[in-house]
Amino acid sequence: MTAIHLENLSKSFGAFTALKGMNLDIADGEFVALLGPSGCGKSTTMNMISGLLEPSEGSIRFGERDMRGVPMGRRGVGFVFQNYAIFTHMSVYDNLAYGLKATGVAKAERDRRVKDMAEFLHLTPMLNKPSAGLSVNILQRLAIGRSAIMEPAIFLLDEPLSNVDAAFRAVMRTELKHLQRQFRQTMVYVTHDQLEAMTMADRIAVMDHGKLLQVGTPIDVYNNPSNVFVAGFLGSPGMNLLKGMIVRTDLGMRADLGDAGLSAPLSSAQEKSVSDGQAIVYGFRPEHCQLTGDDGIRLPVTFVERIGARTILHLGNKGASIKGVFDNDVVARSGEIVTLSIDHANIRLFDAGSGDAIVEAR
Amino acid sequence: MNRSLPFEIFRYAAILSLVALSLVPTLWMASMAFKPIAEWSATGADLTWWPKSPTLDNFRFLFGESSSELIVALDRTAGQPILSSLLSAVFGTLIAMISGTSAAYGLSRFGSGGNLPLALIQLRIFPPMAVMIPVMIMWAFLGLIDTWYGLALVYGIVTMPFAFWLMKTFFDDMPREIEDAALVEGCSRLRVFWKITLPMMRPALASSALFVFILNWSDYLIALLLTTRDWVTIPVYMASLSSSMTGQLYGAKAALGLIAAIPPVILGIAIQKHLVRGLTFGALKQ
Amino acid sequence: MTVAALDTRTEAMEHEDARDSRKLGFWLTLPAQLLVLFIAVFPILMQVYISLTDWSPLDGIDWWQAHQLWNTFANYTDLLEDNRFWSALGRTALVMAICVPCEFLLGLGLAILFVDNFPGRRFLYSVLLVPMMVVPAVAGYMFFMLFQSGGPVNDILSFFTGSPVRIAWLSDPDLALFAVIVSDIWQWTPLMFLILLAGLVGVPEDQLRAATLLGASWTTRFITIVLPRMKTIIIIALAIRVIENFKVFDNFYIMTGGGPGVATETISIYIYKVTQQELIWGYVAAVALVILITLSVVSAYAIKRMSRSRELSR
Repeated sequence: MTAIHLENLSKSFGAFTALKGMNLDIADGEFVALLGPSGCGKSTTMNMISGLLEPSEGSIRFGERDMRGVPMGRRGVGFVFQNYAIFTHMSVYDNLAYGLKATGVAKAERDRRVKDMAEFLHLTPMLNKPSAGLSVNILQRLAIGRSAIMEPAIFLLDEPLSNVDAAFRAVMRTELKHLQRQFRQTMVYVTHDQLEAMTMADRIAVMDHGKLLQVGTPIDVYNNPSNVFVAGFLGSPGMNLLKGMIVRTDLGMRADLGDAGLSAPLSSAQEKSVSDGQAIVYGFRPEHCQLTGDDGIRLPVTFVERIGARTILHLGNKGASIKGVFDNDVVARSGEIVTLSIDHANIRLFDAGSGDAIVEAR
Repeated sequence: MNRSLPFEIFRYAAILSLVALSLVPTLWMASMAFKPIAEWSATGADLTWWPKSPTLDNFRFLFGESSSELIVALDRTAGQPILSSLLSAVFGTLIAMISGTSAAYGLSRFGSGGNLPLALIQLRIFPPMAVMIPVMIMWAFLGLIDTWYGLALVYGIVTMPFAFWLMKTFFDDMPREIEDAALVEGCSRLRVFWKITLPMMRPALASSALFVFILNWSDYLIALLLTTRDWVTIPVYMASLSSSMTGQLYGAKAALGLIAAIPPVILGIAIQKHLVRGLTFGALKQ
Repeated sequence: MTVAALDTRTEAMEHEDARDSRKLGFWLTLPAQLLVLFIAVFPILMQVYISLTDWSPLDGIDWWQAHQLWNTFANYTDLLEDNRFWSALGRTALVMAICVPCEFLLGLGLAILFVDNFPGRRFLYSVLLVPMMVVPAVAGYMFFMLFQSGGPVNDILSFFTGSPVRIAWLSDPDLALFAVIVSDIWQWTPLMFLILLAGLVGVPEDQLRAATLLGASWTTRFITIVLPRMKTIIIIALAIRVIENFKVFDNFYIMTGGGPGVATETISIYIYKVTQQELIWGYVAAVALVILITLSVVSAYAIKRMSRSRELSR
């Protein structure tokens, strides 16, 4: 078990910069998910940790050890590939034994460890079967077992659930989390699926366009997104983001949301950190609003999306588009005009220029 | 994977030396083709790797112009053999492509043909020398010895397996939905084949035809057995380019060899990406 | 077969369509069937007939009257005692045993060097394929020139040894065999290279990376991942070269004419010479027939086994 320290890590391919100045410390035994859309640099980061790519700049340390120039076979890194990369021309046993054999572990010892691992992962009944044609959850366990048998200090998982259908994904997620608890290894998990990251990771690192945007526990990142991208990316649907401007009124600072037709009050902490005339982005989660008969924004319903447990209303006029999550028995029809009240305690403000969250002064 | 500097140096050194080795024989022939007679058989210290005074005399000689240095003149120019090679290879390719393509379609779509695929593989495995005796007798009987069409017919049959297997893999790769859609519209099967499938297969047909052409053009043995004088092909004619008076006509032979070698090299590089498929009978698609 | 929603044909129409398809399939395969019949089946029957006689084109007897020279199985018993035939067969096997492994190893080595990208790869790849495209007869002539006693091979040797080398390559039995083998390796290594490279590129990258991360060295990866994955391709490549090498004629015949003596006489050259020079066609037919039958049996068995193992591995 080892901590991972990424310091000012950068990678460019010719003129294209895949990753820029990444700093991240992953604690011993921690499960960190690198989350972001495709092309955000998460796979590049993982490939540099595994040793497949050399960083253009910056350093990677495992514990105290600098990894520059250490070939990938000697890093003590276990890697689970997106397609599992099972050696389909070998039996399950030979797959598990592969690393031990390649590094010259004696036969008796090898046999014992393969059998232990098979027992642990419930693979014993199929130990002598050919690995081609096994079902995908067995392949996943086999891929993990094949790496875990080498007792790597660090485990890297590259979108291991992306080839699995949605129903099965939930099962595999639980199994994976369960395995991580048992192995107690440092794990780095690359994914573009926020649900996987939220449910499994101790901490989430959100990335976009080669930059690390925010690191934190799933709840922290969800509740306090550090910028507009994170706010919109996390959550399903993502945070509602409305352009607006700060105006000073008799009642104190307010956010004037122009087209949406709302002048929203701010908390006292927020009032202190903004200035008159500042262009802002006003954000609130779809679950932080209610339909009301009183005051609020009056908006037409454009679409009613009933997803079972909840109902999502798409609201909006020409200037603003808002999604709200309500109970499934909400009465609303397309075209109808509703009044929406926003839970003012849970709004987030972002600077319209930089996109960064406006930190509330205390 | 292994990108250390010593490995890169080794890689280039190994590749470049093998490339050099693979080019030397061809380049030597090319150089020979442009040498004047005095340099043909110069040896030892006089051996010239590059013609000292390059000349086109060898090519002129092949096409009947007598040279001041060569006292012999050819009783036949190289024109007729080149024509023979072209005619027999082109028509052989046509025969192979027409029969091979239609049979491939029949097998690929309707499973017709019975033992044909196996027979065609075996036909390819047999040494031509072992089947040529009866063919020579038949050809003599039919008056096909020493004719370009007699030669073309044998070429067509011998290379048909390649046309068949290549086209079969191309047909197998083609999505059937397009044909099915046309069938539902009421086109007959034959019309679908002629109006839809074949036009779509044009690139595949072209590369298969070029591949078969190269094979036909490269033949020596069959022409050696089936032609005697008027319609000998380039390689057969080449062997006759020596006389008791002059010995080997090195330069003229080299010039003719160069003429024979250029078309398949160019065509082969042009259809590079289908070569593996062709050479392995479609078992491997690159 | 068709999109269900669009398929409005009745069962009777379906039946008619199936019959039409069968008819069309028959007509499409007919030309190929006829050609095979014309060059394989009919000639082989003729060959069987002639092989049982002493017929020769010189006797002035038409071939269909060859039964006048009936000798039952004399040609076949003669074959057993024909030392020249057996030595030609042995020589063909020897040439094959040298050429095919050399071409395989050189081709594999080159393929390994070419497997990942480097500047100039595409160009050098094309250049390396050139020997394979050269007309074999012309290649024979190239090597005939190279191995002349005053030719460039000796010139290069002189350069390295410092004293003039005048080896008569093509007149010495052992050296002549060496020379023809070199020409074969020169011409056909590119074919091995081409096929093996296609196979090597097809080995899944992820599996190699997985093996590397598990601590496998280059050699271990090659033996445990690359070779097993390439097994079928290697078999195909070797089979093609063994078949083609067995037929070898053009470059050998042009370089040496099978000589000096019979030093480079392969089975094809042997049959050619007996056909053209000694003209005992009844005997040649018997020789050819024995080879054909042997090859048919062996190849049919091999094809059957290969297609079965392919089905199993699917």
